[in-house]
Amino acid sequence: MGKRRYPDGSPVRESRGNWLSPFLSFVIPGAGQAYLGLYARGAGIFLSVIALIALILWQGTGVLFAPVLGIWVWNVWDAWQVARGRRPKFSIPVLLAAIVIYGLAFVSTEVQPQRMITGWDSMVPYVRALFHPELMEYATEDKVATAPIQVPCVEPLPEPDRKPTENPKIILDKKCGAVGDTLTLHGEGFFPNFEGEVWWLNPIGDAQRVIIDDKQAKFMTDDQGRFDLVITIPQAVPLSEQPPPGQTQTHQVRAEQHRPYGNLQPTRTLKLVWEKIGETVALAFLATILGMIFALPISFLAARNLMFHNPVTRVIYYIVRTSLNIVRSIETLMWAIIFAVWVGLGPFGGMLALMIHTIAALGKLYSEAIESIDPGPIEAVRATGANDLQVIVYAVVPQILPTFASFTLYRWDINVRMSTVIGLISDAGLGFLVIQWIRLNQFSAMATAILAIMFVVTTLDYASSILRKRIIEGKPASPKQNLFVRWGKWAIVLALFVVTFAWSWNVAEVSFTNLVTGLPSGMKLMKAFAVPDLLDRPTEAHSVRQPLPVPCGVAEAPQPPASGPRVALQPQCGDVGDPLVIDGYDLPPNTHVSIRWEMPDGSFLRVKSNCCDTDASGRVHLETKISPLMEIGEDSPPGSVGYVGINWEEIVGGPRISKTVKTVANLALITLLMALLATTFSSFFAIPLSFFAARNIMGDTLFGRIVYNVFKMGFNLTRSIEPMILVLIMAAWVGAGPFAGVLALILNNIPNLGKLFAETIEQIDEGPVEAIIATGANKLQTLVYAVVPQLVPPFLAFILYQWDINIRMSTVIGFVGGGGIGQQFRLWVGLNQYDKAGTAVWAIVIMVWSMDYLSAKAREKLI
Amino acid sequence: MLRVEHLTKVFPDGTVALKDVSFEVKEGEFLAVIGLSGSGKSTLLRCINRLIDPTEGKVVWDDKDVTAAQGKELRRIRRQIGMIFQQFNLVKRSTVMTNVLTGRLGYAHPVTSLFHIFPEEDYKRAHAALERVGIAEKADNRADQLSGGQQQRVAIARALMQEPKLMLADEPVASLDPVLAHSILRYLETLNQEDGITVICSLHFLDLVHRYATRVIGLKDGELVFDGLPTELTPEKFKEVYGEEAEIVTVSGEKL
Repeated sequence: MGKRRYPDGSPVRESRGNWLSPFLSFVIPGAGQAYLGLYARGAGIFLSVIALIALILWQGTGVLFAPVLGIWVWNVWDAWQVARGRRPKFSIPVLLAAIVIYGLAFVSTEVQPQRMITGWDSMVPYVRALFHPELMEYATEDKVATAPIQVPCVEPLPEPDRKPTENPKIILDKKCGAVGDTLTLHGEGFFPNFEGEVWWLNPIGDAQRVIIDDKQAKFMTDDQGRFDLVITIPQAVPLSEQPPPGQTQTHQVRAEQHRPYGNLQPTRTLKLVWEKIGETVALAFLATILGMIFALPISFLAARNLMFHNPVTRVIYYIVRTSLNIVRSIETLMWAIIFAVWVGLGPFGGMLALMIHTIAALGKLYSEAIESIDPGPIEAVRATGANDLQVIVYAVVPQILPTFASFTLYRWDINVRMSTVIGLISDAGLGFLVIQWIRLNQFSAMATAILAIMFVVTTLDYASSILRKRIIEGKPASPKQNLFVRWGKWAIVLALFVVTFAWSWNVAEVSFTNLVTGLPSGMKLMKAFAVPDLLDRPTEAHSVRQPLPVPCGVAEAPQPPASGPRVALQPQCGDVGDPLVIDGYDLPPNTHVSIRWEMPDGSFLRVKSNCCDTDASGRVHLETKISPLMEIGEDSPPGSVGYVGINWEEIVGGPRISKTVKTVANLALITLLMALLATTFSSFFAIPLSFFAARNIMGDTLFGRIVYNVFKMGFNLTRSIEPMILVLIMAAWVGAGPFAGVLALILNNIPNLGKLFAETIEQIDEGPVEAIIATGANKLQTLVYAVVPQLVPPFLAFILYQWDINIRMSTVIGFVGGGGIGQQFRLWVGLNQYDKAGTAVWAIVIMVWSMDYLSAKAREKLI
Repeated sequence: MLRVEHLTKVFPDGTVALKDVSFEVKEGEFLAVIGLSGSGKSTLLRCINRLIDPTEGKVVWDDKDVTAAQGKELRRIRRQIGMIFQQFNLVKRSTVMTNVLTGRLGYAHPVTSLFHIFPEEDYKRAHAALERVGIAEKADNRADQLSGGQQQRVAIARALMQEPKLMLADEPVASLDPVLAHSILRYLETLNQEDGITVICSLHFLDLVHRYATRVIGLKDGELVFDGLPTELTPEKFKEVYGEEAEIVTVSGEKL
């Protein structure tokens, strides 16, 4: 009797029966399959189920167990089918697993679509502002008058410490008043028959609008330039800053008119934006050029074909390659934070961040260009009897120069984009203006800066696409061309270059002094980063305290115990401001302790920051003055008293995986899921939209051309805004957090993918389309059989490419409110907890590498 | 004029490309080298101008030991030996003119040539060379804008710039269609007959060998298995070179 065989030829172990394997799989998923000899299948099922369950327990909600149960059931059925010699496909479990993973993504990135509706109101000013940027305005001539007023009234009323203006002037009917009193203004010497506004200035000069009936107080002057207006005195000083009883403060009332005259002129906002455009471009330029200069020699060390001849150079190759990869997987903005610590805020740190990432990226691209040199021409030129130098000039350089140039140009494009957002961290360039104006709620100024970003990025993109075309198709200079013309052209280019370089150098505020003086803090950061915080030891908090009655007599001041950990105070009670000596005894030796004022309500404040360490005998000594916080007021309940406490932590166990690692792992997963959601949703929207931006689909009718152009331009404009900027607005819409980050990524990805998809659609081969049509197929059939097969592989490749980018972006989008690991990273750096921040960096490096590896594998399969 | 003595080449990975190959080439000969792919034809040609260093044996050219030459002496020898390739090996992104001028590098000033500066007579020579191969009007085009046949003619022009006494041609027509193949080989024939340049050319098609070569050597697995006149290359001899299953096919695809 011939053995029954599976379709792939492996024998079926029928003797073990048809019922046992499903039962085994019911108990342990995959066990039945393994029992039947299909170990890989069994292990795959088992590990997938375990992994999904672990993920759900870690992050998800119970509902997600339903699809896992589905996989379990499928696995039993599969075991039964396998026993009968069949091999079911994996589409059902893969679908169920996808449901679980997307479910997790929704839960842990806090996707709440309803917030897009409830938060819309706070979005409106942003959107409206985009259509009302501050570009031009009329110059105005101004009339401004102020008059002092004392709030509140006291006896005797002192002279106000500010003088009223003379012409124009306002006269008040009172010299003093209380908040809520009415006040009558009489103005003289203003522009006649013209409107003006009234402002209130508090004692430190902060201006606020004076409100009448929920509207800003406005006045209209008569023919003589006079007006009368009644207002109420506003609450202009916070309650905590009120003057002590019996004293008064001088406020001012200000009336102002702004009459336009003359021609339109750029607004101050526009001028500032213009200046920052320069800064943005300068940073990108300098970073690209310097990056190129450093990357050139490095790339030769990272080229396999040059370095694999002997073991020493091979080791150098691996070292250089690995360092390049590590540097590259840390996003530019993360470098910006590192350099902000090193050289301080400002353009220089931003430029360094752009540069170091450029070096790593170009180093890799250059070395790959060197690796792909065609040896044929080298051989041919050498065969003519040329020497080594001649071979390089005639066979090597012409091959790598255009590739190098186009890679550099490509990097320049990226640097321009990055330099628009580097300001979110480094206080430089347009990004700085955007985030600053958003914080100040100056939306129309913000809109001006965002439109400037669109303008700069699209213009420079266009310029470099032309340049790139010339490099790729361009005719090399004929050797026969007039030498004078040839050198002249180069001289002009060189001069332009030198001027631009010097200007950029100046704008970027390059300062080697900062680089050197900041080196210790930079090194400290690097050192902490290099040693991630993987393990910690459990600790237990301890404290001792001693009451400190202020003033003496509000409570008892008992003697501290004679032995054991204790606090001794000298004196034992006193008044605010009295000198106080705090001594701690029998504490753990050489331990960091925190000495605090502990108030009766349980709140506390450190007596001195970064204090103190005990000596070898467990003593600590601190001299200070009694803090006003310790005073017991009359309205306090009787018997209440403040304490001076000493707090420390003792290690109570062996090393364990640190809390940092758990936090980082959790956030890394959220970050991954953010990238997953963003990539999925943006592909979903971009695919249908891309057809509208494909010339060959839209046809040559007027309508088609309009739609095509609108979509294409829309894609290019929205694409030019980095997700880091978008997230600022999304955070206002749906609240800061991962969901805002996902939305920002989606909004940036749709036009990005849409453009790439549209270009693919435009390049489809018409041949198969004709052939399918010739068979009598209808339009839909043609689409399915001739168009889609041509589109699927490139679309998938682009989606993978976007996924790679999104992984990187989602690690930094949290810097400005997008959630994920970046948010925590910035927090840790801000708190000087560099070892924790370092752990996050390592997690990012590992995450980026492993995802890059996976998508590279997936891409290989596609091609 | 060229003597190859006991030439052996073993590659680092252990492949034996040439085994004790010896033969002589007289001035003015058109020597065809035949053999299967991988039989060592390319290696043999490259050993002659030392693009590959032989493991053992000697190549003597004009009474000079090529295998012992180094540095400047080697380059002086190379510049007298032109070479063309199956894949043309032009620098694709440079102009035709620049490509042709590279043939002059062995003569040019080592410093000025780095800045693409060549003497006026080199330009004249280059024009003459391009005219000779019939593509003078393409001088300012980029090399990759030319068709395959044109590119090979540029490669010949480049070799001509060397004023060679010997021309090595490594399957010069294997990437070209039959008509172009004949035109390229006719250029080589002209050079051979009019300028007296010795030609060593590896070829695939027997009819081309019969038509152009004055002498044939056959290689099989790196060994010299035939050395004689084209007329002596009988079907039996042919099978000895190409193996029992080989069939004689002409360049235009007919069976002989």
